[in-house]
Amino acid sequence: MESKETTQTQPQTQTFYSDKLKRAMHLLLFRRGKMPGAKEWEFKEKIGKNYEQVLEQLNQLLSELDLEIKKVKEHTPAYATQNEVPTDESRYYITLKGTLGLKEAKMIGWRIDNLAALAAVVAFLLSKQGKAPREDLEKLLANKFGRWKSITLVDIFLRTGYLEEDDAGVISLGWRTQSEIDLKTLMTRMAEVKL
Amino acid sequence: MSESPKKPTLAAGRRELKELVDTCDAIAERKFNPFFLDVKLGVETLRQFFPLWETFQDHCMDAHTLNRLSEVVRLQNTQLKFQSSALYADPEFIVRKLERMSEKRLVEVLLQSWHPLAELEQLTEETVTNALNYWDTLLPIAERWKKKQSNEGKPPSPINNEMLTGLGVHGEEFNTQINRLHEELRIACESSKVTDYWTFVRRPTYQETVHRAYLISFLITYGFAKLKTDDGKLSLIPVDEPTGKATANSISFPIPVPRSS
Repeated sequence: MESKETTQTQPQTQTFYSDKLKRAMHLLLFRRGKMPGAKEWEFKEKIGKNYEQVLEQLNQLLSELDLEIKKVKEHTPAYATQNEVPTDESRYYITLKGTLGLKEAKMIGWRIDNLAALAAVVAFLLSKQGKAPREDLEKLLANKFGRWKSITLVDIFLRTGYLEEDDAGVISLGWRTQSEIDLKTLMTRMAEVKL
Repeated sequence: MSESPKKPTLAAGRRELKELVDTCDAIAERKFNPFFLDVKLGVETLRQFFPLWETFQDHCMDAHTLNRLSEVVRLQNTQLKFQSSALYADPEFIVRKLERMSEKRLVEVLLQSWHPLAELEQLTEETVTNALNYWDTLLPIAERWKKKQSNEGKPPSPINNEMLTGLGVHGEEFNTQINRLHEELRIACESSKVTDYWTFVRRPTYQETVHRAYLISFLITYGFAKLKTDDGKLSLIPVDEPTGKATANSISFPIPVPRSS
């Protein structure tokens, strides 16, 4: 009798759990609004209180595919100090765990000069504590890519979420930079470059 | 003999506070380093002028300045913490490095720290709404082709009198304007036989000035008046018996009409 009960409950738990994994995966992969990924409250609503455990298990599965789940605090800059209070809202994304090669980056639709400009812009903003006037950025890019191209490049990065601009024309790092770029590694590599 | 310090005045205090607020705002907009401003000196300035404030606005300005100074202190604090973090790099050093690095090297640095997002592109409510709005405003293909053809422009073709009249460059009305201006020029030159070009052309609005300059160009081209240049000074001389025909050996003389007086 006991053994029968055990055999009946075990597969039920597995099905239930894999169902939660599927739902979490759908939330992470399929875009529903302007931004990809899913917010904390969405997981709480669709998966339940134990969503963090579900995400942890999903992360283990994804790591075999060189992917990982990343948690990013919204409206909290990456260069924020410990004293700054982070907001409650977090967003989860799936990102590449490893890195891409030059050819792969081209394959996913990025122009090499645009990526070079993105590297320059992010490094420059980080050196300025994450904020700088738009003119300064355009001037920096114009030296390397020309005046007209520099304006277009800043617009591209704003549109794709790598940068943000406020009403005063001050540019800061966008949500996508914080999600995709390991800022410490970038600055370390930048410092290591020998000219 | 030592010079006695200037006595603070209300006007000077208001001016100083405004300058202080402007500097603080510029620092907040990342135009200057937060340590560019001596906050202690700023607070002393506030203290110096505080007894002079008379109106409610003065006190509001005082409070606002203090608020902006506290923002600068916050930025100084953030900068110190940032400088002690692993992300710190001297901006000048980074700019010099970025200028000297090749595009390929920059990309390599980025790729070592870049973990792009993985997502699937599909229809969302927002994209469907955008698509529907686009579809609703989209003209039929025949209309769009028509528009494209008109954009390309027609080749040059002869123009007749009726069309010129329609465009306002020929016809009774235009001739009336020319004759009226010719008469005006003759009256202006009655005493000295010559008048200054800009005195004659300039009118209160820019639009009127340009219109008169345009009409005068016709007066000169068709022999109603002569344009004389003397050391950059332009003068107009009316012709008593105009031919009414374009002069064969005339030269083009562009005269820019500046917006400012």
